[in-house]
Amino acid sequence: MIEAPPPILAEGLRWTYRGATRPALDGLHFRLDGGQVLLVLGPSGSGKSTLARALAGIVPHALPGAWTGRLSIGADDVPATPPARLGQRVGLVFQDPESQLVMPRVEDEVAFGLENRGWPRPEMLRRVPQALALAGLSGFEQRASRGLSGGEQQRLALAGVLAPLPRLLVFDEPTANLDPPGMQAFFARLGELATRREHTIVVVEHRLEAVLPLADRALLLDEAGRQLAYGPPAEIGPVHAGALERSGGWVPAAWRRPGALPTGGFAARGPSQPVTPSPVPAVDIVAELEGVAVRYGADRDLRTALVGVDLVLRAGERVGLVGPNGSGKSSLLFVLAGARRPSSGAVVVRDASGAPHDPRRLPSTVLPGMVGLAFQDPEIGFVGRTVGEELGPGAGPALVARFGLDGLEGRDPYRLSQGQQRRLSLAALAARNPRLLLLDEPTYGLDRLGSQQVVAFLDEGRVAGQAQLLATHDPRLLPDCDRVVALEAGRVVFEGSSAAFLAAPPFDPPGPWQVSP
Amino acid sequence: MSFLPTPLGGRPDALLARAGGLTRLVAGLCWLLAVVLTTQPLVPAVVCLAGLAALLGWSGLDARLVAGRFGPVFVAAVGLAVVAAVFSPLNGDPAATAAVELGPLRITVPALSGAMALGLRLVAIALTSVLVFGPGEVTGLADSLVQQARVPDRFAYGSVAALGLVPLLAADWESTRVARRLRGLEAAHLPGRLGGLGGRLLTLLVSAIRRADRMALAMDARGFDSGRRRSRYRPVRFGVPDVLVLAGAVGVAAFALAAATWVRV
Repeated sequence: MIEAPPPILAEGLRWTYRGATRPALDGLHFRLDGGQVLLVLGPSGSGKSTLARALAGIVPHALPGAWTGRLSIGADDVPATPPARLGQRVGLVFQDPESQLVMPRVEDEVAFGLENRGWPRPEMLRRVPQALALAGLSGFEQRASRGLSGGEQQRLALAGVLAPLPRLLVFDEPTANLDPPGMQAFFARLGELATRREHTIVVVEHRLEAVLPLADRALLLDEAGRQLAYGPPAEIGPVHAGALERSGGWVPAAWRRPGALPTGGFAARGPSQPVTPSPVPAVDIVAELEGVAVRYGADRDLRTALVGVDLVLRAGERVGLVGPNGSGKSSLLFVLAGARRPSSGAVVVRDASGAPHDPRRLPSTVLPGMVGLAFQDPEIGFVGRTVGEELGPGAGPALVARFGLDGLEGRDPYRLSQGQQRRLSLAALAARNPRLLLLDEPTYGLDRLGSQQVVAFLDEGRVAGQAQLLATHDPRLLPDCDRVVALEAGRVVFEGSSAAFLAAPPFDPPGPWQVSP
Repeated sequence: MSFLPTPLGGRPDALLARAGGLTRLVAGLCWLLAVVLTTQPLVPAVVCLAGLAALLGWSGLDARLVAGRFGPVFVAAVGLAVVAAVFSPLNGDPAATAAVELGPLRITVPALSGAMALGLRLVAIALTSVLVFGPGEVTGLADSLVQQARVPDRFAYGSVAALGLVPLLAADWESTRVARRLRGLEAAHLPGRLGGLGGRLLTLLVSAIRRADRMALAMDARGFDSGRRRSRYRPVRFGVPDVLVLAGAVGVAAFALAAATWVRV
């Protein structure tokens, strides 16, 4: 006999992490019926992930801090219920598929949670294929977990969480790392689960358009973890969209009154720079790829990352680089950074006088002014022990203040908040002002405010004549690109205006790649 | 990076893959014991030959892939043997028979024998570890250790999860190099590069801790190590393949030791 999905009740819930100066969650008050879908919206730092952790009992049981008020799942009061019992009823899917998959083989991964709960083997043998079917992975039993695409890995994580029959499912930005088709497939599965009404579902997401239609209730949080509103999305959305937007959160297009708020991309900031007319004099060319191929691996498992890629990047131009996971975007960035030698073809970066250089041979005194790379995870790119060291001698007080880093110069970069880390990596790039700026998912995990800061930074660079190559899964960034280059399996399958790309994405199916209206 | 403990992708129906991980471990220990017990080159030579036969016949591994990945070890073994032979103090013994005499270079028979033993021993150890850890999959090894050797679940499956993170950390390591390079911090000379390793290691450590934290959180959320007795999706049983592997390994080790006792090289 399967339990009914539990209602969730929060009354004056407040939680402060030990050592924090303000509560992460400050006075939440809502009641969600069993079997309903709750969408949690808010800017960075609004406590969305903390709420997800509280529903799984990680807060307060595994992390130290101060708890007041009430949160209950069905009859279980969270602070008073042993985590093992909560774990039986709650399934939690995290952001990053790669760091939540435990077992190398798909069926073992699904069985892992069942083994932990002591399921008898015959029942496991029956349940594993069922859970895989729910996640759309039937027939994947014997595959290698880490050989799956990002989207498939995340659905495998879903299957593993679904297997032990939890009644409450909590998703913490489950599609942040997925390409658009992976995201769409994931939400399709989530939609099927929602219509079965066998689970109470809580979803924390930045990519709102796909998940909003599934939500019965929405919880709006502000930047300090306070509740802005709770209720049916269609009722509270349009009323509180302004407050949510002011706090820095993403707002679904459906909630905006016509003309009141920007839609699609970041176009409301003003007209973007005109596309550099072609043909251009050679001096305007910043980087060129000609017939570049990259292969890697030893003879037997030789894999191809890029095949015959031709590309020209000009001064004052932003080029969007799109494609599914594993299509060669990172390899292309690394080749331009001179960090990977092409198996064949030519890579050239040009200095201000138009003289060509091989980026792999540029002396270390010249290279920082020629090429810069913003990593998806800013931490990976840090080279300094302090913020000041990371910024380098080129960063004056004005620049430090502009990126909101004043007073932090002596701090350890790894101890900054995520938003501060992103701003630090951009400030360090601004201080060097490279002719060619390469960016890997520069708005990853950022709220609306953070994303707009990134775009404003990019706009300044472009006006100043910087060439920018921006690899992204986020179609919202494309309308501001002068050109879009699409990769599939290492080949350029499209090169043209962003409007042309968004009107007819060169992928099959094209739907997921288009910006939602 | 080819030295990473990524799966060698062997056939699952091979004899060594069907034997339990604990069986392979014990069999491998027999060989290692035999190899370190004597200074005779004959023992590691026999183990090398038997190991080669096992690799080709019963491991299910692609021998070419193994050769490609562990080639450096074999090259190192040869280099080590040559150095040991040329610089052995035994070469100065005027009573010993000279095996090689080329101008000032004189290598005596005992020196040559010792050097060969050294090189062969290194190859035998490498080959044995390939045969212990290569066949089957890492989960099978963990299953066997947990169910047959009472290794704690937390340690065994924690290690399995950690191994899955290794390729991600390898990518992070590469990224730290690119980051330093683009900041003009990559020195052209070796001492400078070694100096930069400290910073890269710090970044890697931070990233490793973050990833391990997330993994631990995900494992906890799925009820791992919650105090309840875990059930087994893949029960491990001691069967015919285990008997065959153990008998074969013990037989080879015994034969090698016996041969070394009777035949002096």
